[in-house]
Amino acid sequence: MAEQQERGSGAPDPAPRGPASGSEPDVWYFAVRLGDGRYAFAASLVTEVVRLGPLTRLPAAPPFLPGVFTHRGEILPVLDLGELLLRRPVATRPGGRVAIVHADPWRVAVVADEIEGLAQVPRRRIGPPPAAQQAGEFLQAVVADDLGDIGVLDLPRLVAAARARSVPA
Amino acid sequence: MSLGDLQVLLFQLGARVFAARASDLRRVAGSLLERPEDGVAETVLGSPWNPRRGLVVDVGGEERTVLVDGVLGLRVVPEPDFEALPAFAREVLPTAALTGFAMLDGIPTLVVDLPTLVREGERHRSAVPSEEESRHA
Repeated sequence: MAEQQERGSGAPDPAPRGPASGSEPDVWYFAVRLGDGRYAFAASLVTEVVRLGPLTRLPAAPPFLPGVFTHRGEILPVLDLGELLLRRPVATRPGGRVAIVHADPWRVAVVADEIEGLAQVPRRRIGPPPAAQQAGEFLQAVVADDLGDIGVLDLPRLVAAARARSVPA
Repeated sequence: MSLGDLQVLLFQLGARVFAARASDLRRVAGSLLERPEDGVAETVLGSPWNPRRGLVVDVGGEERTVLVDGVLGLRVVPEPDFEALPAFAREVLPTAALTGFAMLDGIPTLVVDLPTLVREGERHRSAVPSEEESRHA
């Protein structure tokens, strides 16, 4: 079966809260790669990671919505995180991995250059977002794991902003 | 055909196949349209490559013809095989003419509301000045 359940049960609430403390539990994020950068969002938003099926393109769709695909009988819109964040489209291909996320109130499938999966980060390694960065508006924090720095995104806000940008006046 | 089933007409526009509710159609115009210039060629779905057929619909009591490349036939689709457009897609698409999908042999085929498609196409046409109008502006 092509699908993978990436989340373990009982993952702690990933939302960063207040100053880091040595005794606080680690935070779980879901990490993706876009170009040379690593980004993540709250792991609790991800319901599963699946293989992308054939994409049905929608006429006149904005560039960040390359199409929809069918997953277990449900038609899911696919969001191109590269286009949304960096204005650099991801090369979507059937069989590539997508993360199905619940960005309230929408359920969407997110594509990136690479899906890394869960990243466990000690709270003491959560820092404020840099003042100026390409994705700065949507960055909540910068965290570091063994592989390097990760920009933490406010994914629901990013999705809501994309929607607001597209709604006809 | 049971009560929940719906008949759709499959048509081709460019390289793509779309579906429309058969009840939206008055008739299918043949290869020789009397006045092809009256047909609606440019819509949010794109333009036909070689408009050989026309889908005649009623829009506000008048007939309008959507030009298409071909008509592939009618299909009866059971109600459970219809899927609405996902909410997020509905919110960000600049058209209300795409209403959802008919699952045909497991393949999602876009269902188009033809009267809405025509109305939107005409609104767009009246909002964009023609070449002639632009020259004289």
